[in-house]
Amino acid sequence: MECVLRAVGLKKYYGSGDTQVRALDGVDLEIEQGKFTAIIGTSGSGKSTLLNMLGGLDVPTEGSVQIDGTELAKLSGEQAAIFRRKKIGFVFQNYNLIPVLTAWENIVFPLSLDGQKPDLAFIMEVVKLLGLEGKSDTLPNNLSGGQQQRVAIARALASRPAIILADEPTGNLDSKTSDDVMGLLQMSSRTFRQTIVMITHNPEIAQRADRIVRIEDGRIVV
Amino acid sequence: MDIVRTQNLKKYFGKGSGQVRAVDGVDLCVEKGKLTAIIGASGSGKTTLLNLIGGLCQPTEGTVTVDGVDLGTLREDELTVFRRRKVGFVFQDYRLVPELTVRENILLPPALDGSLPDAVFFEELTGLLGLGEKLDCFPGQLSGGGQQCAAIARALITKPSIILADEPTGSFDLKTSQNVAGLLKMTTEICHQTLIMITHNPQIAQLADQVVHLQDGRIVK
Amino acid sequence: MEDMLKTLMRRSFAASRLRNGIAALAIALTAVLFTAITTIVIGTMESFTLTMQMQKMSRSDGELRYMTAAQFEALRRSELIESAGLRMPVAYLDNALRHNIEFDVEDETQAALTFCMPTHGTVPSGPNEVVASDTALRSLGVEPEVGAEIEIVFSVRGQDYVLPMVVSGWYEALNSQISVMWASTAFRDSHPEIFRNTYREDHNMTGTYFSDFTVHSTVGLEENLRGLVRSLGGEPEDISAPDYLAAVVNRATNVQPSPFQTGAVIAFAVLFMLCGYLLIYNVFDIAVMQDIRRFGLYRTIGMSRRQVRMLINRQALWLSCAGIPVGLLAGFFVGRMTLPMIMGMVATEYRYLAAGVSPSPVIFLTAAALTGLTVFFSTRKPVRAAADTPPIEAFRYVESGGGRRTSRKSALGAGIPRLARFNLGRSRKRTCFIILSLMLCVVLLNCAGTAADSMDVEKETAFMIRTDFAVVNAVSSSNMKGFTRRAEALQKKTIADIAERPGVTGGTAVYKNTAEDANVTYDFGHSLTEEAYVDEYSGLTFAFDDVYNSYGLGDDGRMICNVYGIEEAVLSRMDLREGETDAHALYEKMSAGEGVLVGVHVDRRDMSLIPRLELIDVGETITVYKDGAPVMELPVLAKAALNGDDVEIGFTVNGPNVIGGDGLFLYLPAAVYETLYDVPSVYKYSFDVEEGYETEMTAFLEDYMEHVDTGINYLSAQTAREGAEGTRRMIRFVGGFVGLIFGLAGILNLMNTMITTILTRRHEFASMESVGMTRRQLTEMMVWEGLCYAAGACLSGLVLSVALNLTLVRRLVGSMWQFTFRFTLAPALLACTALLVISAAVPVFALRLFHKGSIVEQLRIAE
Repeated sequence: MECVLRAVGLKKYYGSGDTQVRALDGVDLEIEQGKFTAIIGTSGSGKSTLLNMLGGLDVPTEGSVQIDGTELAKLSGEQAAIFRRKKIGFVFQNYNLIPVLTAWENIVFPLSLDGQKPDLAFIMEVVKLLGLEGKSDTLPNNLSGGQQQRVAIARALASRPAIILADEPTGNLDSKTSDDVMGLLQMSSRTFRQTIVMITHNPEIAQRADRIVRIEDGRIVV
Repeated sequence: MDIVRTQNLKKYFGKGSGQVRAVDGVDLCVEKGKLTAIIGASGSGKTTLLNLIGGLCQPTEGTVTVDGVDLGTLREDELTVFRRRKVGFVFQDYRLVPELTVRENILLPPALDGSLPDAVFFEELTGLLGLGEKLDCFPGQLSGGGQQCAAIARALITKPSIILADEPTGSFDLKTSQNVAGLLKMTTEICHQTLIMITHNPQIAQLADQVVHLQDGRIVK
Repeated sequence: MEDMLKTLMRRSFAASRLRNGIAALAIALTAVLFTAITTIVIGTMESFTLTMQMQKMSRSDGELRYMTAAQFEALRRSELIESAGLRMPVAYLDNALRHNIEFDVEDETQAALTFCMPTHGTVPSGPNEVVASDTALRSLGVEPEVGAEIEIVFSVRGQDYVLPMVVSGWYEALNSQISVMWASTAFRDSHPEIFRNTYREDHNMTGTYFSDFTVHSTVGLEENLRGLVRSLGGEPEDISAPDYLAAVVNRATNVQPSPFQTGAVIAFAVLFMLCGYLLIYNVFDIAVMQDIRRFGLYRTIGMSRRQVRMLINRQALWLSCAGIPVGLLAGFFVGRMTLPMIMGMVATEYRYLAAGVSPSPVIFLTAAALTGLTVFFSTRKPVRAAADTPPIEAFRYVESGGGRRTSRKSALGAGIPRLARFNLGRSRKRTCFIILSLMLCVVLLNCAGTAADSMDVEKETAFMIRTDFAVVNAVSSSNMKGFTRRAEALQKKTIADIAERPGVTGGTAVYKNTAEDANVTYDFGHSLTEEAYVDEYSGLTFAFDDVYNSYGLGDDGRMICNVYGIEEAVLSRMDLREGETDAHALYEKMSAGEGVLVGVHVDRRDMSLIPRLELIDVGETITVYKDGAPVMELPVLAKAALNGDDVEIGFTVNGPNVIGGDGLFLYLPAAVYETLYDVPSVYKYSFDVEEGYETEMTAFLEDYMEHVDTGINYLSAQTAREGAEGTRRMIRFVGGFVGLIFGLAGILNLMNTMITTILTRRHEFASMESVGMTRRQLTEMMVWEGLCYAAGACLSGLVLSVALNLTLVRRLVGSMWQFTFRFTLAPALLACTALLVISAAVPVFALRLFHKGSIVEQLRIAE
């Protein structure tokens, strides 16, 4: 199985000398295509920082990240943005939907930024899978938290990215809804052979993934 | 003795087919000095119930009685005073005033009343919550946990009748959550407070004396 | 509690420096507007008052004439009177060349009130001492200096006097035509025979007492004066009565603003208030919106409504204290600088114009009060919103369009332009405000532009003068004087000097009858009433007809009419309407004694003959009388429509008014005129100049007027045009200024909204960028938002401009004859273009300045 994501020697240091904070201290990571990976760690373990690196939202002090063969650090701001909308899907803890756009418009937003015509059949399938039929024309503030998160997942799936990065996707949801959402992520991963990397602090949630990676004090622990 | 009692409490938003029945007939009794946890799925009405108890919104039907006072009989300004003196709030995102120091934040509710708090009590409380050294810092300089502790102190400083906490540990990881929850329980016990707390974390809920399970606006057993 | 709230106020205030800066700026701008207009209003009033006083040579509240010594003393003692000056007119000096010197006995009070106090030397004390103006002394042949010896020549009651006098002091003349030379009461005491009071018998004013006075209160002055006169034992109204006592209110001092002017000022004040309101309201609205969560928190933990209100009100107060003084200062300077420009445009007839304004507390207090009022009104709604928003809603507050629309049909994705449009829907009210103020800018600019373009300069010029140049006696350029005397005729030498200048073509002299030509009269069977009055200026008696037209009467009680002796060239320029309309044929017939041309005034709006003044028809006959006997029969051969040039010059009408009155305007060939009138007087010399000679001629005339013949004035088509252009410029200036202010307000609102957007939607922008929106696309979106605002304003502005122009402006302009409605959309289009460009530029700069930090940082910002 090919490697969708390869991170080598990732380091992120803040400050210098005694007060230096080593958020990431040499992380090597390889993610296989189609797998659902959970990165688990406590608050301050560096998992959020790692996710930011992997998504190209932040630049490492040292080390490299390659997604689908492209070295992220080599991309300029504009190129990184374009890369993201084609190749990376994000799911955030607080959904981050655009309030003035309907659910449908939110889902196809990255595609419309790219000037692409959406693959309607595929997106309809995603919508159906996530149980969002009938909600396409609704604005986000009229959707419940769980529904909003599902829209966010659909958005991430819509462009068939190389990898989906999810940052505590169930953090704002209660246990039942969390359960639903995790189930959907699993199902999406299987059905669309979508690579998903999720960070969480909740071991129970992490259990749902195909593979668990533990991070502590900026390093992967085995 | 019951410090909070609700009777057939209802809160509806909107009308017709789009009507949302956030709270749909809740009878609740909370004993003084106890810790009550309200759990339920997202959209079950927990926050609305809390708001009703705290006098932050008016019920569509039913009554809320806190410390013997029927909130429905109070006017807007009386409700404001009620909130100031009788209710302490703790929120998920702390809600401290960024331009005031920790000390000033904690002392804000009594200041609004024009009264001075008990200096001894203040010291005790801030000591308990580990804020002793940080009183003159600004909220931004504290960690998340520290800020929440400051918020808890603010809630307790007026020695209110009840403390209402909406997901107080929601934004923390497990370890911090447990710390903060523990502190919350301890301080309310020491101050003989009644704490009503919303959480979706079953482990935190376990700390409570009474667990109320809400679903679709109603209590389920 | 007070301390805590104060601390809270201070700290939260200090934390939002940018917002405070913008708010203070908005308040300052409003203060600038108000101060500028207050300064201009008060400055204009001050300047006009002073100018008119100087024109009339008196700053008294009123004047009384023909009093006896006893009456004068009684006047002095009257309760109504604050101070009364003593004046005993003697006569006009006969030996002054080209300058009228009025010789009076005065006291210091009088001299002070009438601008005659000496600036060099002292007031006269001895019986042979006088104070005179520099122009007067030069016309008597001496240089103005203390101690100069002069000789004065005058006659009273037929008796001639030649007296040597010494100049005890002198002053700079205000008026080139006439000035006062005065002696002290010692002169009166040493010449008792001059000052015999014979008024009862012969209405001779020498020997009577005049007085310029000031009163304690000018309220009801007219009434009070009449009462005063009666209390002095005089008759205030009947001129012919033996004890007639003239009481005149000095209009120059008691300048009443016309209703139009007052209305204009109020309109501007309201306009500025609206502008200020839009500006300040938006700023505070945004501020409250940004802090709505905070206010929700305050309310939750128990801050009462009153406390929240106090918080915001106090902040508004501090901001006003910062912004208002700056605005007052800036506004004052703006007003002071534009004052001369405005006065120059408004008052083109006044040669001696005093334009200045002193920083009076009235200006600042009024402006500050108006600004404070505006701030108060603008902040009411935001304050209420902050205090009354229930705490629970505040927590969930996200601007997403008021939540009224829950869904929208969407088949495709939202492209960036559509996204931008939806963003505008987040706060409809704010969007409306911005569009409103921008739209007003467009509309105002266009209305002003249309009004200015409609100013028909050529029409106005054509009314004022028919040739390139016309030279008249200076009296003709003042509407309080006019050509009435033979002595005011143009000198032959002057005419000759002008005629021989290079480039002069078609020069013609025009005769006009004067008050001294009362022996030539006309009758055409028009009945007159018995009522009569004597015009002070010309001395002629006037009667009325049954429609209240007035007619000057000659020696034999018949109409004296306004009679002009013209050459053919002049006739050919006139506007012949009825009868013989061929100028050449008409002139030939008139020269043969076959008849006369009658002129009629027109309604300037459409140049139609005024029916009330069409006293006679073509074909009817006028009988000419000389010295009481009929000498000629003149049938009316034609009628002409008269313009200002035919009557006197420019807009002056007083000359003909006090000679013939409304009575017939007759135009005879010069030769015929010369047979009728014993001393034909030329009142005007009109001529054209060849291409390219205008500047030279203008310079020549200016120089000639200054040094050779100081009694003349001239009007050129060019200066007439400039006068009209001046009005046009003023309309453009004022309209442009106000429109600009609105535009500025709108743009400030836009900037404020953009900056706020960027700051509050930080998180949202970050998430958009994380899912792949490039920086450029973000900029594009913001630019589209800006353009949407501008487009809304431009569209509505254009539509409203067209509507208003074609209705309101056309009506307004149609009622004024100087205007011919000309529609233009150019200013609106220009403004729209500018707005579009600016609205696209603002977001670019705002983003660059405020959208900082990496995506991660911005995502981390907790709401």
